[in-house]
Amino acid sequence: MKKIIYIFTFLILTFSSYGQEKYSTKTGSITFEASVPSFEEVKAVHSNVGSILKSSTGEFAALALVKGFRFKLALMEEHFNENYMDSSEFPKAVVKGVLQDFDISEVEEQGKDYLLKGSITIHGVTRSLEEIVTVSSNADGLNVSSEFVLNPEDFNIDIPKIVANKIADEVNITAVFTLSKSDL
Amino acid sequence: MKKKIVLLIVTLGLVGGAYFLYKYLYKDHREISNEEAAVELAAADLKQMFVDNDAQEILNKTVIVNGTITGIEGQTITLDEAVQSALLITENAGNEGDIVAVKGRCIGYDDLFEIVKLDQSTIIPTK
Repeated sequence: MKKIIYIFTFLILTFSSYGQEKYSTKTGSITFEASVPSFEEVKAVHSNVGSILKSSTGEFAALALVKGFRFKLALMEEHFNENYMDSSEFPKAVVKGVLQDFDISEVEEQGKDYLLKGSITIHGVTRSLEEIVTVSSNADGLNVSSEFVLNPEDFNIDIPKIVANKIADEVNITAVFTLSKSDL
Repeated sequence: MKKKIVLLIVTLGLVGGAYFLYKYLYKDHREISNEEAAVELAAADLKQMFVDNDAQEILNKTVIVNGTITGIEGQTITLDEAVQSALLITENAGNEGDIVAVKGRCIGYDDLFEIVKLDQSTIIPTK
């Protein structure tokens, strides 16, 4: 009798997770750069960004804890957190969306572009987001990457006049996630 | 003679000012591994702090977290599925199942994975 229960439990678990396949990473990376030539480099790297992709639906989410962005200069990092991003009040930057017409069987090693439609939340401001995302397959799972441009103004981030000429108006974002299959 | 002394003082002042300005602009990053921890607690307890109330007061603080390694991904280890630490050095990071204490900077709570994240972490030898 016990055996039957075990088999049933096993079957139920197997089928309920079928089609719910998730790929995830906790160590994705996001780099942003807003450098102006001949001034100090304004660039930061975050290498502990969490991200999940549901392969059946193309739903995608990524979450970066703002305090995890590392700059070359300690003072720049401090200003970024305290003056611009207010990272104690708004600790998270989040992207949520759906990869349009995502079909995992189409994904190949050389990569395929999908349109990600969703939202992005930074500094407590949520805006709609439509960006091209490249998905490619690797031995362990999927690579998801994207490059896009954001304007600090759109997220109520004020850059004081005194430093405005040292920071570019447009911030280039590069995101790379190496996702592996997970049973989350 | 008086002129010379004034000139000397002005020069010294300028050099000193430049030095302090330089020190301010190019100050060093925090060295988390040498800082004294604000709090020492179990991984599950730290997570509970974020679940109960935002735990803003612990953001950016140096903490020591105790727990069992339940996952290793890249340069990070996860303790009791509650706290993920990004290590500065992965050598001798231990294996799954090891009981360790990790010192790092708390950067917040990831609600996608429901874990607290630390960065610039080091494993501290257990007494």
